[in-house]
Amino acid sequence: MEMARNDANVEPAKGSEDPVTFHEPNMSSDWHVHGNKITTTSIGLVTMCNSMAEPSACASAPMMDSFGPAIWDQSINGQNSGYCNINVQNVASTSSSLGAVKAGIGWTPNAMLSEGMFLPTVPGGVPQSLPHFPADSAFIERAARFSCFNGGNFSENVNHFPVPHPLNPHSQGLRPMRGPDEVLGGNGSKPLLGMQSQHHQMHMAEVSNEALIPGERRTEGSPFKNEKKSESFMPSHDEVKKRIDVSGNQCDEAEFSGGGAQEELDQESSGKGLDLKKRKRTEQKTENNEAPQPSNEIAAEIRQKGDQNPLSTSNPAGKHGKQVSQGSDPPKEEYIHIRARRGQATNSHSLAERVRREKISERMKFLQDLVPGCSKVTGKAVMLDEIINYVQSLQRQVEILQPRAGLSSSLVFPPDMTMPFPPLHPPQPGLIQGGLPGMGNSSETLQSTLARGGLENRPLNMCRHPVCGRTNFTTSFTVVSTPALLLMAKKHRLPFH
Amino acid sequence: MKTPHPKNPTCTNPSRSIIRTRFAVRFLNAMKKLNKKTPPSRRYHTIRAAACASMASAVGPRRAWSRAILRKIRARTLRDYIINKSRNHRLITRRKSTGLLRGNPRDQEEVGFRQEDDLRGLVPGGEGMGFCRLLSETAHYIKCLRAQVQVMTNILDHYNST
Repeated sequence: MEMARNDANVEPAKGSEDPVTFHEPNMSSDWHVHGNKITTTSIGLVTMCNSMAEPSACASAPMMDSFGPAIWDQSINGQNSGYCNINVQNVASTSSSLGAVKAGIGWTPNAMLSEGMFLPTVPGGVPQSLPHFPADSAFIERAARFSCFNGGNFSENVNHFPVPHPLNPHSQGLRPMRGPDEVLGGNGSKPLLGMQSQHHQMHMAEVSNEALIPGERRTEGSPFKNEKKSESFMPSHDEVKKRIDVSGNQCDEAEFSGGGAQEELDQESSGKGLDLKKRKRTEQKTENNEAPQPSNEIAAEIRQKGDQNPLSTSNPAGKHGKQVSQGSDPPKEEYIHIRARRGQATNSHSLAERVRREKISERMKFLQDLVPGCSKVTGKAVMLDEIINYVQSLQRQVEILQPRAGLSSSLVFPPDMTMPFPPLHPPQPGLIQGGLPGMGNSSETLQSTLARGGLENRPLNMCRHPVCGRTNFTTSFTVVSTPALLLMAKKHRLPFH
Repeated sequence: MKTPHPKNPTCTNPSRSIIRTRFAVRFLNAMKKLNKKTPPSRRYHTIRAAACASMASAVGPRRAWSRAILRKIRARTLRDYIINKSRNHRLITRRKSTGLLRGNPRDQEEVGFRQEDDLRGLVPGGEGMGFCRLLSETAHYIKCLRAQVQVMTNILDHYNST
């Protein structure tokens, strides 16, 4: 799909309107299958393809070709994905293919974005894939909607793929391909937005059901375009999540088109979510948020269709994909195209690394709150040292307390006095047993000793004293020493307190 | 979820008190049984094991570290059986290796090998998990240790005062 996007980017410059030359026939055929409207969309797609092909400078055309079939073959079923593919291939690749695209293609969003290279897909493949074009009614609907837009937007979307394409999503996909800046910057995102909104509506119904969303974030296209920022994965995720929660209220959902596919809106798009959020807002403003979109997927779809901003895609979708796949597969390579944040490597590995790092830093922050006295400490190494110290001190505390509490709870003062002083010195059974006889008075002694409270330091020494029948003394020591020992232990062992 | 002050025995957070009450109940029960039977020489160890076990059972098998403790305890009880012993040992060692392998080398580089290993040694069951997981387990472990300390302190205070 990325290829498509790239192509889209390329094409928009051209001015879209080129009639679908090579792809058209294929597309139209497929489209027809699904509905008349589709043809229009296909046309749009084709134009997009054409436009893309024309630039050819980017070698987009060849890429398109190669990309097309690839995408189509993939047959991403997700409508969202379908859109992406469509865009790419300029042919309404069957939605099914879209799904496949998602799964298999792995457009290497990175590749697409960075190099602007479209996966060379055999254009011929397009026609083949066309048959795969999903005959979903939803898709047809979308196509229809796209067609509506076609009229107006074509001219405007120089940068984007002919907006009218129902395959906005695909325009969006294209956008990412172009590169974050170009496509978005240029053309009227407005028309796209408008389309998007419409599409959104359409999609909403459809998308809701689809879970395939290829993860193209294309939807974000327009908003992204406006923002012209490189999006990060996270934001998209957040947005997707939001969408889900909001049930599609805004165009944002479209952004998550890719993410929607992920269906994992849960992903933690911590930091990056911000970007997406911004986009969401912009999108919302620009587009009139059509009816709340039932699901993120829908939004995603819509986005894909509507937004031709290539920029949008990447991150959010990527994040989703990543999280879904557990970071093992770089989102870009999967159906989700995530745009890396500016200045960050878009390598799949680095993306996964980023996610990991963020998770770790999140946990470290939590630990920082847990451990007292660590708020001022910065840096993982020092923090870890503090944490280790704290855990050790807590364990020692428990060690000290255990026997005492256990013994006291049993209401039987231990015959072996060693128990209370485990940390102090190895228990001396002999001593203890000698001291047992005085148990009877223990309670009284305890109270008295407790009242005194002055034996804090003594117990430590006392226990070392050879027990010479000082039963009461020892018992009192044990009793009294407990709090004292604890204090001392805490003082000694909790340096950071 | 933490009490305002780690040493503050009074728990203000209900969620934390749940663990505390659970642990307290189990610990006290274990203490009752324990003091009557065990010989004095082994009492210390028994109490310690009982406290550990009660803490782990209070937490339940939801956490990796509690599972590790329960495993160890069960392994200890089966120590007499060579087969079990070796089996558990094998399991534990296997987990260890997997955990270490799972650990991302980058974590160590960033953080420091020594620290990570120390932490793994401290937290029960910390051998067999990734660094990320280790951190969350540590957080939960700290929370439970604190709860344990508070409960025991309260017990001591209660019994000492009465």
